[in-house]
Amino acid sequence: MQLKKSKSVRKMLAVATTSLLTGVAHSANSGAADNDWEMDSSVLYYSEADRVTVIEPVVSLRKDMGDEHFLNLRFVLDSLTGASANGAIKTGSAQTFTTPSGNSTYTTAANQTPLDPTFHDTRVAINAEWEMPLNKTTKAIFGANISKEFDYQSLGVSANFSWDFNNRNTTLTAGAAINADSINPVGGVPTGLTPMSASKATTGADDSKTVTDLLIGVTQVINRTTLMQLNLNIGSDSGYMTDPYKILTVLGGAPDTYLYENRPDSRARQALYWKTVMGFDEDVLNLSYRYYWDDWDVSSHTIEAKYRFSLGEKHYLQPEVRYYVQDKANFYHYNLVDGAIPTYASADYRLADLKTTTLAFKYGIDLDKDSELAVRIGQMNQTSNGDAPFEDVDATFVQLNYRMTF
Amino acid sequence: MSFNVKQEDGFWRGEFQSMASPCELLIETDEESLAYSLTKLAFEEASRIEQKFSRYRQDNIIYKINTSHGKKISVDEETALLLDYADQCFHMSDGFFDVTSGVLREAWKFDCSDNVPGRNKVKAILPRVGWQKVSWNKPNFSMPEGMEIDLGGIGKEYAVDRTAMLTRAHTDNSVLINYGGDLYATKAKNDGNGWLIGIEKPNLKSNQVKNKNKQRKSVKEFQLKQGGIATSGDVYRYLLKDGIRYSHILDPHTGWPIKDAPHSITVVAESCIEAGILATLGMLNGKSAKRFLKAQDIKFWIN
Repeated sequence: MQLKKSKSVRKMLAVATTSLLTGVAHSANSGAADNDWEMDSSVLYYSEADRVTVIEPVVSLRKDMGDEHFLNLRFVLDSLTGASANGAIKTGSAQTFTTPSGNSTYTTAANQTPLDPTFHDTRVAINAEWEMPLNKTTKAIFGANISKEFDYQSLGVSANFSWDFNNRNTTLTAGAAINADSINPVGGVPTGLTPMSASKATTGADDSKTVTDLLIGVTQVINRTTLMQLNLNIGSDSGYMTDPYKILTVLGGAPDTYLYENRPDSRARQALYWKTVMGFDEDVLNLSYRYYWDDWDVSSHTIEAKYRFSLGEKHYLQPEVRYYVQDKANFYHYNLVDGAIPTYASADYRLADLKTTTLAFKYGIDLDKDSELAVRIGQMNQTSNGDAPFEDVDATFVQLNYRMTF
Repeated sequence: MSFNVKQEDGFWRGEFQSMASPCELLIETDEESLAYSLTKLAFEEASRIEQKFSRYRQDNIIYKINTSHGKKISVDEETALLLDYADQCFHMSDGFFDVTSGVLREAWKFDCSDNVPGRNKVKAILPRVGWQKVSWNKPNFSMPEGMEIDLGGIGKEYAVDRTAMLTRAHTDNSVLINYGGDLYATKAKNDGNGWLIGIEKPNLKSNQVKNKNKQRKSVKEFQLKQGGIATSGDVYRYLLKDGIRYSHILDPHTGWPIKDAPHSITVVAESCIEAGILATLGMLNGKSAKRFLKAQDIKFWIN
């Protein structure tokens, strides 16, 4: 016998042995019989100081249908209340704005960031996936999703394929998704860069956009404790991407002039994502980096690290840190100047030069062999990273998570 | 069948018989209760694995598969993991490690005699050998009528590793597991040393082999702190005809013994099952055994 791959045998064997031994340990511990339902549920409470509060319950269900077929269902309910920056800048005097419906007004005091207090919404989303093997080493996941809020609907389908090779040490993934969204803003779709008023100019009662995504990725088992993943996402959006409720302040002309924002009707996006998971005895390190860029000239870097400390057999503590830095869109303006109104403009601070720092801790406990409870508490700070002097957004969040098999 | 424990100098020894081998645990402790509970745990796990995967029984999944007559059998998660493992070992060894090669025993009886089978007899069995002929699509397994699988080549080592995992979950003390010469040490002893393992050099003159218990002697001593040790060998299992010694390591492609295989190979690896597979693959490499093992960058002994 002359093993062609003699050099790499030990490595491949080590990986195979890990899945053999840990797989058995897992099944022996979980005791989960075939065809059980797995449920993962959580409630997120997210609150920005003086601004938006979100309560978001999520329930995910997974059912083994036998023969490696799985049904995955996910239900999300988002409830949003509070005030959101409308895009206008704070000034030395009180400012009065028309609500989107045109039926009323709200006033912001001098030297306060104008916030739209009518901001509230509830979103319901349902996602269903069917996971099936195509043969021994390839599998497909077909999905469909629908979501609804009072002024927004989204419908989407997706298909993902993965192929294991190199003794299942390497997985190639390719997928595509398309979403068709429609928006019917309160008071109609405002014509971009026209003045905010009770009788605003509109282009109609509703508008739509299409979001297309392609993904290719590779996951590689490096050794018995390390796994690496690299994904490339290419996206293309077309249609109405403007926020119909956001405005910009125009300086240098008549006082208190506000124009509805206007964004390009196409966007080409790319994102490169790299992730490594490393095990150290009982502990796990999760490191990831994402680079995003698009033809609005927005580019961003995201670095995230999580370390899971095992505290005995049943408890763990996981500190998490995330840092996000973004370069602004080429049509972002803190405010506009009279006489120099561009074709596209938005004062949405989420398109500005900004950085976000998030710190969180997660504590988990195995209640019994089939259920786990975890709580995650964190703090986020979003701040300007350029000339635009918008106010920091500070948020606190608490997430409760409960996972069980039944 | 049962087990017993006894105290020795600095450790407790638990003993039982399983998988047709003497099995023992050496436990660094003064406590009889710990020795008792660990040995009980080990005895139950070894017995469970023997019952579940022995090909000599008629009440287990292996029997069910081997008497399936080409029909599809749905297997449990643990069996699935072992079949996945067998599948991966088959592929990484270019088809030399094959759990379907057991039917070749119908032609080969390695009893130190000169009973070498005829070419036609071996040839007639070969169509029933070859993992590539089975259909394994978890959890469903099927194979052509007449084929058999035998996980005996990894069963004892698997039992050692499983016992080690259970032991670790039960105690932080150092434990050496020894199932018929396949070993695993969970950690270094309190004084920082490993367990002293004697690596035998077999005496190969046939007239002395018959008196094998007397002739066994350790020639190499090795301190095993953590990890597995396994040996693959044909010291007492071979055929001798016309001056040619036929090793019991069979090439599943030809149905004939591997030429010029060493008499035995002992390997140290992170787990016992890895040590066992690497030792077997070493044997399957015949006279290039040493080159193969060197390329793996592991501790090994060839005799």
